[in-house]
Amino acid sequence: MPFRASAAFTVIAALISTLLALSGCSNESEPVQNKIVVLTFNMPHYKDGFSRWVAEFHKLHPDIEVEQIDRKGSNWGAFYHTQVISGTAPDIIDTQGGAWLQYASQGGLLDLTPFLEKDAEFTANFYPELLQSWIYEGQNYGIPLYFTKTLLFYNKLMFQEAGITSPPNSFDQLMEYAYKMTKGEKSGFMTLNFDWLYWSLFAMNGIDLVTPDLRHAAFNTPKAIALIERLAKATKDGAISNISWTGRWVEPNSMFAAGQIGMLQAHSTALLWMLSNTSWINENTIGFAQMPGNWSTPNAHALHISADSKYPQAAWDFIKIATSGEGAYSLGISLNNLTGDRFVNEKILDYFSQTKPIVVPLLRTQQEHLNTLVGNWPLANDAEIKEALYPELQSALLNHKSAADALSRAEKKVNHILSRDDRTAQSQSSVSGGQ
Amino acid sequence: MTVKFGIGNKRLRESTLIWFLLFPSLAVFLLYRILPLAWNGVLSLQFWSMYKPPRFAGLYHYKELFLYDDVFRQSLWNTLLFMVGSPIGIALGLMIALLVNRPIFGRNIYRTIIFMSFPVMTVATGVIWLWLFSEKTGLINYFLMYIGLIDHSQPFLEDFNLALPSIVLVSIWQVVGLYMIIILTGLQNIPPSIYQAAKIDGANSWQQFWLITFPLLRPSIFLCLIIGIINSFNAFDLVYVMTGGGPGHATELLITYIYKTAFTLARFDYAAAITVINFSLFLALTWLVNRMSGGNAGAVETN
Repeated sequence: MPFRASAAFTVIAALISTLLALSGCSNESEPVQNKIVVLTFNMPHYKDGFSRWVAEFHKLHPDIEVEQIDRKGSNWGAFYHTQVISGTAPDIIDTQGGAWLQYASQGGLLDLTPFLEKDAEFTANFYPELLQSWIYEGQNYGIPLYFTKTLLFYNKLMFQEAGITSPPNSFDQLMEYAYKMTKGEKSGFMTLNFDWLYWSLFAMNGIDLVTPDLRHAAFNTPKAIALIERLAKATKDGAISNISWTGRWVEPNSMFAAGQIGMLQAHSTALLWMLSNTSWINENTIGFAQMPGNWSTPNAHALHISADSKYPQAAWDFIKIATSGEGAYSLGISLNNLTGDRFVNEKILDYFSQTKPIVVPLLRTQQEHLNTLVGNWPLANDAEIKEALYPELQSALLNHKSAADALSRAEKKVNHILSRDDRTAQSQSSVSGGQ
Repeated sequence: MTVKFGIGNKRLRESTLIWFLLFPSLAVFLLYRILPLAWNGVLSLQFWSMYKPPRFAGLYHYKELFLYDDVFRQSLWNTLLFMVGSPIGIALGLMIALLVNRPIFGRNIYRTIIFMSFPVMTVATGVIWLWLFSEKTGLINYFLMYIGLIDHSQPFLEDFNLALPSIVLVSIWQVVGLYMIIILTGLQNIPPSIYQAAKIDGANSWQQFWLITFPLLRPSIFLCLIIGIINSFNAFDLVYVMTGGGPGHATELLITYIYKTAFTLARFDYAAAITVINFSLFLALTWLVNRMSGGNAGAVETN
């Protein structure tokens, strides 16, 4: 009898613990109806502004709730991918750089062209070159939320010391100035290089990433070999800081802020970071210029609608609120960035001329030369190509292998990715066709 | 007959009880380990995108891995090199354990200090060492220049040849305390009478170590080896914080490459194929080490 009692107790305890253990598998939260989910990218501080967007949205759709989910850049992708896989893709997503291309090419995003055509007045607010950045195979998949592009920050004190009177206007001059300012721990030039930031250096030397039909690599040329050899030598000589080629963000900006770098190619957002870390930077000591040839790489954010959103019209209305008029203005002054809405940007510049005059000339550079943006090729596997190419270039730039070898290997890899796209697409369509 | 039935019934009851008690853990293990592993194997044989139904791919991804992907080959090689750090760490752990097993003054403090690196969060360890290795402001460069070993600062984590050894060094530093504790436990389980008998037989210290200590420590040492192998396959956070796999792919391990492939490039099918290779290699090495230890790595003798 005692055994039976203890056995019964054991059985019950085991069952309870099993249920407890398995309870992690159950979906406790019931899906809420009439709700759109907005996945934002690294905007944890923008809660109040987001609430104002939602308040405006509720004037149009009082019966639809809006939920914001924000993720840091480093885990945004992993979060979004798991949401898509589990069948709960957010209705609206905020993407950075070229990530959207993969989603659009696989049918994950809604074509916004009909919405843009229908709302011609809204569409007219935007810079055409920026809207162009979110076109894949003739269809527009994104509306610009805010954008930055690269520019050349220069240390006027180091310029003065080296006898340089104006920013460089050619690649040769860029290198010449870099050497002139290099002394001891100080380097003449540095670039940030994640995403495609370094490509402006290639563009100003007439080097293309891919052929015009986007089917083959086009960068393995004698000109590119000569350029990489020159950059590698300048890196070895210290004229270009080797931190340039590590892909980091904080360290290069810190070094410029520490007064150790003559010229830094970075996004406009780097300035506020520098200002918060040093006291020597002011209108007299720092200059802003375009890179030679006016080439720059955008780091733009856009809002997209998921293809399987239940409320595409409501999502579109939310996007309109966030990307234009007062919604865009409050975002711009909060992030210290320009938006896609050119009329709003004038208001933002007025605001900063009163509050932070130092950023006005900086932001002016962001409005110019939008026709010479690079690094925004409409390639479905943009991320993969980037991953295939850059480590090879890095090896050559840090003098680990020859430029010719690095470019040859990179070309092979990129061509493989581009040809694999064709093969897998054919495979997919042939199977689909057979069904 | 009645007696036999009684015993059988008792065994049945005991066995039922054991299975009932094990069931929750086994259920969780099945759901969160075995099923994902099986699903991973299936996924590696498919063309799979986030938005489209999967299609059978056969060995397409494996072919790409072995024929085209030199990053995979480098990650595999780096993982094996990372593993080479384990015997070095174990040898170091053994030396320290022998030292702190002796009746020296303050040995408990030494044991604690040496073990303290192990419980520190790996991300914190990575950040601390990132600064220590810094080319411009790092203490290691300062020290090496101060003692005259180098004449200018070295970019340890930006150098293609130094980056991986630097990370292996940090990994050894982090785990050596654990190795020491495991080996120390093994050392303290060796009966002193064996050493007394060896002394009477005229064995010197060296002979005592090679003929008594080392063979009797075999289960502990092989347990450390298995931990080292696990560590090599799981050293994601350390690499991710310190170098992100770079420069180039000089510090890319299989585990970081799997993460990048899946979550940066969203190629879950291809990442699944790498995971299958990773798991197979891990299984084979663990099996091999266990066999070498006589099949009882880390076992506790109960009689």
